[in-house]
Amino acid sequence: MKIGIPRGMNYYNFYPFWHGFFTFLGIEPVLSSKTTKKTVLQGSQLVVPETCLPVKIYMGHVLDLIDNKKVDVIFVPSHQSIAPKIYNCSKIRGLPDLVRNVVKRNFLLIEPTLDKSEKKQGLYEYLYESVAPLGITDKKLIKKASKAGWEYQNRFNAMMRSGMKLDEALDCVVKGKFVEHKEDDTGKYQINVAVLSHAYNLYDEKVSMKIFKKLEDLGIRSYIAENLSMDEMKKGFMVLNTHLYWANEYEVTGAAGHYLVDKKIDGVITLTSFGCGPDSIMVERITRYAKRLSKPLLNLTVDEHTGEAGFITRLEAFTDMLLRRKRESVIKSLSKQFGERKEEKLVQNRT
Amino acid sequence: MNFNNKFDKKIISFPQMGNLYIPVCALLKAMGADNVLLPANNKQTLTLGTRHSIETMCLPYKMNLGNYIQALEMGVNTLIMFQAPGTCRLGNYAKLAEAKLRELGYDFEMIVFDLYGGKFKEVINKFSLATGNKSMISALKGIRAGLAKFNALDKIERELLYLRPREIKPGKAEKIYKQGVAMIHKSESPRQIKEVVDEIMSRYSKVNIDKSKEILKIFLTGEFFVLLDPFTNMNIEKELGLLGVEVHRQIMLADWIGQSLIPKIIRKIETHKERAIRTAQPYLKRIVGGECIESVGDAVYAAEQEVDGVVHIGPFNCIPEILSQCILPHISRKENIPVISLLMDEHTGKAGFMTRLEAFVDLMKRNKKVMQIA
Repeated sequence: MKIGIPRGMNYYNFYPFWHGFFTFLGIEPVLSSKTTKKTVLQGSQLVVPETCLPVKIYMGHVLDLIDNKKVDVIFVPSHQSIAPKIYNCSKIRGLPDLVRNVVKRNFLLIEPTLDKSEKKQGLYEYLYESVAPLGITDKKLIKKASKAGWEYQNRFNAMMRSGMKLDEALDCVVKGKFVEHKEDDTGKYQINVAVLSHAYNLYDEKVSMKIFKKLEDLGIRSYIAENLSMDEMKKGFMVLNTHLYWANEYEVTGAAGHYLVDKKIDGVITLTSFGCGPDSIMVERITRYAKRLSKPLLNLTVDEHTGEAGFITRLEAFTDMLLRRKRESVIKSLSKQFGERKEEKLVQNRT
Repeated sequence: MNFNNKFDKKIISFPQMGNLYIPVCALLKAMGADNVLLPANNKQTLTLGTRHSIETMCLPYKMNLGNYIQALEMGVNTLIMFQAPGTCRLGNYAKLAEAKLRELGYDFEMIVFDLYGGKFKEVINKFSLATGNKSMISALKGIRAGLAKFNALDKIERELLYLRPREIKPGKAEKIYKQGVAMIHKSESPRQIKEVVDEIMSRYSKVNIDKSKEILKIFLTGEFFVLLDPFTNMNIEKELGLLGVEVHRQIMLADWIGQSLIPKIIRKIETHKERAIRTAQPYLKRIVGGECIESVGDAVYAAEQEVDGVVHIGPFNCIPEILSQCILPHISRKENIPVISLLMDEHTGKAGFMTRLEAFVDLMKRNKKVMQIA
């Protein structure tokens, strides 16, 4: 039995879990191919233009699974809320409904709902809904499969925290390996930058335009929200004087709060897709606090028309600014030391 | 922090939204608050709000922010924000607006009404906090007057929506309606309000109408604020009425108040939301925040009721409405009902808006003719 998983939205956060869960139950997960120009084009034809880029891409992936991979069972989960009254964005909440209404193909849609605000819509109900349409209704087996899923997910999380790249980490997880990332890069990079966004923006190379590679070419070490622990992100909310409102706010506001006061970080880059409702509010808050904490901030907005050239120019300009700032601070501290030494000499001469 | 002693004399103001100011004013007056009534939403409000908010923010927020700035300029020191049930960006707005206004250098305090889950007590508590009134009796009196005004306004508005397309000389019913609104605003006791409604109804009955005229019937649905604020929706009800369309607006103020404040056990009839959840089932299985499920449910319900069409309005970049906008064409095809989605922002021009409405009305007329022949 095969189940198609579109490579978009929550895939970047929860795929290891789904992989472990489905393979344990003898279902083979099939992924759509990586995002291409065609994916974006096909997806954006299905929904209204105002929809955000990641959702358009998601629709493209669903089509890719049905047309090219010939899978007729598609897994589209709806993550309503992760804690009582902590809801996701409407588009994530209604993702299966959107797919059901706009994709005009013949396929079986598997649409489990995870809603922690409701009493009977927790993880096990969610998992039951995921496999019940495929004929697996043994609740004990599902519980066991869930444990297998968590094993994969935890391994993945640990690898991401150690600073591994997402592709490598996913590769290792799928093969059942666990490798700790142990690259010592102190002194290799001049500048450290935190890149903040939702995983589906950041790791989709079509959306983020390979931002990590571009930054590395410019001599920048980039930090991401996945490098942080939950506690660090929770403290980040306190820095920004706010509380959790959106389900996927940790990776943006929480991480921003942490990195804005981190002395090691020279600047912060946020990447949002045009028309993203939650992000517009989060970024407004981050911008206000970045100003107060005098940390350089670059807000990048992308949609399907964003040109790569303009993107690079902005990154380069930001890098130049950071370098100049760093040089200035180095010179300042040097001259301060130099000045102190001069005074010391004068004092010695007098005595 | 104790907000009570921040200002010696509290001067209250609240954002404008259609006719909402009338019941709210009644309530505040009964509780003895010093209340500044803002002018109805206008171009200046929108300009002020747009200037000080992020570009991708939705229209209701921009209007509210504009209202607040206008109010603070008028010497108000206490602002009220309403937060109705629903989980879109709305939950962030009070905080966001407060931060922005403080950044602009205003000194004020903000009282937020959290209506999550429909808490009647919470509203009274917050009103007491806002007005400094501790007397339960005058609060209840105010609420009674407010509710009576809600019902009265709905009643005269429903009649107007019926009369407008049928009038022989357009404009007369509108005039009476405006007089009625002003009279309801002035009246104090429930009895007086009832007299006003009777008076207006008798005036309405003198309006000459063409009863044989073929009238199109449409459902007007969509986002709450845009639906209820005539400036923001460019007076869509009036324009449609003048084109000979009877508008059935799906959210009326009194219904909404009843549904969000009165507990589930007391209520007997199916609320608008419950109906929407039932009818939207084949298309939208979950509640996704905002008024998405209402928009979708209303469109399906409209098809059941054999209405001629559905006009769906919302602010540009409203997250839930984008979702319903994606789903509506599918419903239109499956249920065979014309649907038009109109999303407004500060750049929407009236001429283009009117052209689309006229085209839609023509389409419905042709549709109806074809159906009659067949």
